[in-house]
Amino acid sequence: MSIRYIDCDEARIMPSETEYHVDLEWFGGETVKNLEAKRLFPVSGLFQYIALLDSSGKEVAIVRNIDHLMPESKKVLLAVLNEYYMVPKITKVLDKHDKFGVLKFMVETERGIRTIEIRNRHNDLKLMYEGRVLIRDADDNRYEIENIDALDRHSRSLLNGEI
Amino acid sequence: MDISQLLTNKSIPTVVAEKADPQTEYLFALVSDLSRDARYTEDKKLHPGKKQKKNQDIKMFAADSILFTKDALTIISPTEDSVRRIAFSDIQSVAVKRMYGNAYLKIEKKNEETEVILRFTYQITVSAEAAARYVNNVIAGEDYTEEVKTVQESYERLQCVCPNCGRTLLRPGATCIHCRSKRQIVSRLAKYVKPELKLLILCIVNCVITTTIALIPPYTNQMIVDDFVPNKNYKAMLWMVVFMFVAYVVHYGLMAHRSYLLRAAGNRIVMNLRSDVYERAQYLPMRFYDKTPTGSVINRISSDSLVIQSFILNISQNIIVQSMLLVGIIVIMLSMNWWLTLISLLPVPLVVVGSRIFRKKIAPYYRKIWRRWSAVTSLLTDTIPCVRVVKTFAAEKRAVNKFKEYNEDWRIMDTNASKITSIYPQAVNFLITIGTLAIWAFGGRMAMEEGSGLTLGTLVAFISYTSIFYNPINYLANLSDTYQNTLASVERVLDILDADLEVDDEDEGIKPKSVKGKIEFKNINFSFDRSKKVLSDVNFVIEPGDVVGIVGTTGSGKSTLINILLRFYDNYEGTIYVDDVDLKEYNPGAFREVIGYVQQEPMMFRDTIFNNIAYGRPDAQVEEVFNAAEIANAHSFIVKQPDGYDSMLGERGIGLSGGEKQRVSIARAVLKNPSILIFDEATAAVDSETESLIQEAIDRMISGRTTLMIAHRLSTLRKANKIIVMENGKIIEMGSQEELLAKQGKYYTLVQIQNMGSKQQAKEEV
Repeated sequence: MSIRYIDCDEARIMPSETEYHVDLEWFGGETVKNLEAKRLFPVSGLFQYIALLDSSGKEVAIVRNIDHLMPESKKVLLAVLNEYYMVPKITKVLDKHDKFGVLKFMVETERGIRTIEIRNRHNDLKLMYEGRVLIRDADDNRYEIENIDALDRHSRSLLNGEI
Repeated sequence: MDISQLLTNKSIPTVVAEKADPQTEYLFALVSDLSRDARYTEDKKLHPGKKQKKNQDIKMFAADSILFTKDALTIISPTEDSVRRIAFSDIQSVAVKRMYGNAYLKIEKKNEETEVILRFTYQITVSAEAAARYVNNVIAGEDYTEEVKTVQESYERLQCVCPNCGRTLLRPGATCIHCRSKRQIVSRLAKYVKPELKLLILCIVNCVITTTIALIPPYTNQMIVDDFVPNKNYKAMLWMVVFMFVAYVVHYGLMAHRSYLLRAAGNRIVMNLRSDVYERAQYLPMRFYDKTPTGSVINRISSDSLVIQSFILNISQNIIVQSMLLVGIIVIMLSMNWWLTLISLLPVPLVVVGSRIFRKKIAPYYRKIWRRWSAVTSLLTDTIPCVRVVKTFAAEKRAVNKFKEYNEDWRIMDTNASKITSIYPQAVNFLITIGTLAIWAFGGRMAMEEGSGLTLGTLVAFISYTSIFYNPINYLANLSDTYQNTLASVERVLDILDADLEVDDEDEGIKPKSVKGKIEFKNINFSFDRSKKVLSDVNFVIEPGDVVGIVGTTGSGKSTLINILLRFYDNYEGTIYVDDVDLKEYNPGAFREVIGYVQQEPMMFRDTIFNNIAYGRPDAQVEEVFNAAEIANAHSFIVKQPDGYDSMLGERGIGLSGGEKQRVSIARAVLKNPSILIFDEATAAVDSETESLIQEAIDRMISGRTTLMIAHRLSTLRKANKIIVMENGKIIEMGSQEELLAKQGKYYTLVQIQNMGSKQQAKEEV
């Protein structure tokens, strides 16, 4: 069976009664409820190729590009994705602790202050393009620094050497 | 009740405790770290015991929490300022749903409503799963007191922080190296130093002599300048030269001897330490390896033991030598001229501070260089072995450009680091030179003034001592960093040396030569960490000589069943009997001797084919090995190898196909002449033709032996007189093939699916 893509207005994405889910209504009237939205490229393409899966994990459709959706659909989908994908953006590094192979950063994010514990600094701190840094902690939680060069001097000095 | 004493995954916020009903008998709490709108709640402190800087800009919230009783849960949300009680009688089920970087706990009510009751990060997920299991099991009628124990165990296992000092532990439950008595650590390491004590004392004596000799030349210079040259005493000068010649012969001879002795003693220390760690690693239970990557264990045996050895030698030798040198030089210098001594000590604080700053500055660069270099090597290990793929896709240019880019990144970083590495030693030398210049300036004037008591010879000697003086200063300034690094290695090594072994005494228990092969599982329940049951209420009896097929989907518990029978895990509930004797009464090693085990992925050692087959019986006669290989359908391909049975197998048996390796591993099992045979998907990874060869070998082997066969391809079970069908850790069907087919249950469905697949394949081949 071939993949069904949503390019723009052939389907409408609506809020679902179930939290963190969406409902989908095709142009022809066919409706599928309680779908989970999952990014197929959660690292490299945040707004493209979003799969909509039913409760059994079966793919119902793929949104090619969120920006091409109808405004209301886009809003609903983005809201759900923002809830599903929790990758807090680090705005400041407050403190650092490095002992016995475990690296800890106390950071300020848009969701509050958090202590990140990194056990494998070689794999879990990744410098991407244009100063973007992806961090994975010991519990597999993710964090992001949008641009390391835009951080304040103290934060940069604490990160210096690790990235 | 006192809420602060309640079993909890993390400390209960005061505001939650205040909202809890003091009359209710709560059993445990689940405290989140996220509010419902995904904001972090109060965080733990970064430096335990240290006052944390407060950040006034960001408001932190008390955590949402759930308190559990034997028949209800109470959700207390300080962020939403609400308290809600939901009785278990209204709940259908509770489950944890993982999203990305966060998860939630949802309840499905009996009125078919679904509700999210708590949101948290992955840090809390395992605790939440334990809590969900508690509710589901209590709803299903299980005893709540037993279920609370499971929750408690789950919570305790997650404690990866030392309860004493708050430092992060190597793994949950590990002993904190900082709280462990330092005397205990020293006494553990002393065990390895003790046999070398005589040698090390000899080295220290040797060191005292060589250090003393090293302090002589400046003094002789003084005599030459002040006495022999002005008095034109050539004879005395010649005697001095002879004396110095002898002194240098002794000095360099002793240095060479000391170097040899240290190496010999060091090698024995590291050999004994490595052997102990390796031996311990062999007898560690499988649950240790479940939590510790094998690479990490290898690293501890190879690298960490080397770091410890180097530190032991360092502590026992260099500290003494360098301290002696320092004190010796200062005493000599003070005896010569205390005023000049003070001047020469002026740069010391700068050198000490500079050395520490340098270490701190250069360490990040080393890590950055390491990262860049590992990117280069990763690219190499990716592209060189895959050069065929690179060429097929005409991607040579792309590969070259990528390599150039990574190489350039490394070059830039290394060049940046070299600025510091080049400047620092010269800066230190400059400081020392300033000290020397100051001595020349002040000392020179004093030497020129009559009656100052400072001669030209003393001044020259003084300057020579100053240059030696900075080596011990540098060494001692950096000692604490070396100590910290070593402590981390000691922690990792002691983690293995102190881990619980499979059995306390390797000789204890029944050691059977053979068994008849009756196996009985009675009420077996098992979970790896009690957070999720992998086997649930498993009961069956296998008679001697039975051939039993175990089938089921991936994750149904088939392999765990076998792992328990092989005694890789002993912490199961219930009893397993082999020949009517409790399995735990057998000696694990001796019991495994009577079992032949063939895995899906046969592991080959870096040795000859012969030795690989004879691995379980190194004393086997040549023809016994031939016979085993013949039974396993391996002999025919082995004889075709240019080196026959002497053919060396590389890592994981490179050079043999998957089917050939499997036949060698079957031959290995045949040679043991086991009473019980276990095949864990032995033909899963081979083609149909090889499968029939292996199947033929298996058929020859199983006659008269109790055999357990895990199989995905049901066609391989045609000789089985009993089939066990597993699902979600439970036995859902058991009986002969005919009985199960007639029942038209799960086994029947699996057979139908595979038959359809075979027909489809046959059609495609036509």
